[in-house]
Amino acid sequence: MKRGIHRIKGSGKTPKEPGESLGEKLARLFEIPADVYGNRPKVTAIGRGEVMIENFKGIMDFQDGMIRINTNNGVIRVTGERLVIREITSEEIIIGGKISNIDYDA
Amino acid sequence: MFLVHLWNYIRGYVIIIVTGRGLERFINICSKRQILLWDIIRKDSESALMKASLRGFRLMRPAAKKSGCRVRIQKKCGLPFCLNRFKKRKGFKIGLLLFASLLVLATSVIWDIEIISPKPELVPQVQNVLETENIGRGSFKRGLDPKKLASRIALDVDGLAWVGVEIKGVKLYVTVKDSIEPPVLIKNNEKFNIVAERDGIITHMEVYAGNTLVKKGDTVKKGQVLVSGRLESKNPDFGTRDVHALGKIIARTWYESSLPVSMVYTQRLKTEKSHDTVYLRIFDQKIKLGGEPPFEMYETQTVDKFLSPFGIRLPIGLTVETSFEIMERQIDLTMDEAISVAIDTAKKDLEARLPDDCVVVDEKIKQVTGDNGTVYIQVVVECEEDIAGLVPVAE
Repeated sequence: MKRGIHRIKGSGKTPKEPGESLGEKLARLFEIPADVYGNRPKVTAIGRGEVMIENFKGIMDFQDGMIRINTNNGVIRVTGERLVIREITSEEIIIGGKISNIDYDA
Repeated sequence: MFLVHLWNYIRGYVIIIVTGRGLERFINICSKRQILLWDIIRKDSESALMKASLRGFRLMRPAAKKSGCRVRIQKKCGLPFCLNRFKKRKGFKIGLLLFASLLVLATSVIWDIEIISPKPELVPQVQNVLETENIGRGSFKRGLDPKKLASRIALDVDGLAWVGVEIKGVKLYVTVKDSIEPPVLIKNNEKFNIVAERDGIITHMEVYAGNTLVKKGDTVKKGQVLVSGRLESKNPDFGTRDVHALGKIIARTWYESSLPVSMVYTQRLKTEKSHDTVYLRIFDQKIKLGGEPPFEMYETQTVDKFLSPFGIRLPIGLTVETSFEIMERQIDLTMDEAISVAIDTAKKDLEARLPDDCVVVDEKIKQVTGDNGTVYIQVVVECEEDIAGLVPVAE
């Protein structure tokens, strides 16, 4: 019973992300997509060979089989074989190679 | 992304090896400072290979210092380094310069002239005008005004309705359209007589205007007035009136040619000896290679050979002038042979002299013996032609 009431209460709302700022709350209220406003990371995977992460803070670890990237939502870990950083700028990072995992491990 | 890489190639980039424990820190600092890095490959636990632009590489030093990494260039790539290599090669530079200047020179010159004309006889006339204007193969396109040239050709060549001059690449096209000749205008207020152009017997007369002074069957002399432009009235009170006489006077005329019969005939024979003189041709210039033929008498025959790869005739080629030695030999002829030779020569001589509009009616060959015993052959040709000649009457 308790579960059902809870569901009714939370319907129509996406679950809150931890550490949501006022600006993001407003953005959600006016239904502005999250990737337009705010500094949440956007992870795009194309096939198996390319992962693009926008809005990242920096790389923490770079190895042949694992790359860890610091973002505002914690650390994203990409594992795979023969990983390379195709391109890195202050806004986005493109990782290439044979990717097997994308983890949010923070 | 391809365009970015092309741009990087044009601007030049370096492949560097970064060694050190703070490799991640190095990459982070670089990305924060807008230094573009790409294709980062981990080599081992301490070093990585990456590519960076030339500008980025220059700004990299503080980042390397902060992270405690060592940066080493492994390879320089891109256009600036490629060109740099050529800087030292003097011959290459000279060749490049030479090529460029030759290309410019070759494209600023007319290589071929094409004259498009409905009548083939107009082509040499147009060529003459081009020659007097000093335009030929090899003349420069600069300073050549197609409109001016077109008007020059239109003025200098008769019977043209329209002339178009066009330069297409290295070719000069001259297009010519012929016009129909206007009929000769006859002004009635001018006074003209019809006068005989040569001696003859009148066989037929068509007088359109004027006072006819002769009649059919009359023998007329050269210069005699046949039709007068002065009309005289029967009544002397009316006076006279001058008109432009017009008409056709067909008369029978004679042409003759006489030749002494020679018993000796000079025969020209080719010997087996020949000599080639070769000329190198560039545009309309001829450069002689080799000497004069070593013969006293010779006939020449010229053959032009042009380089023409893929069917395009280049203005570079050879002209071979072959000279054949000629020997003259005297041959004694019999009387019959001598006469036939003399008749042939006399006929050829006459043919050259006959006017274009005459019709040959009869031909007579006579054999005359002269005072000193030499035999003459006389060929007489009887023709019919228009002998009317218009002569203005002086006041």
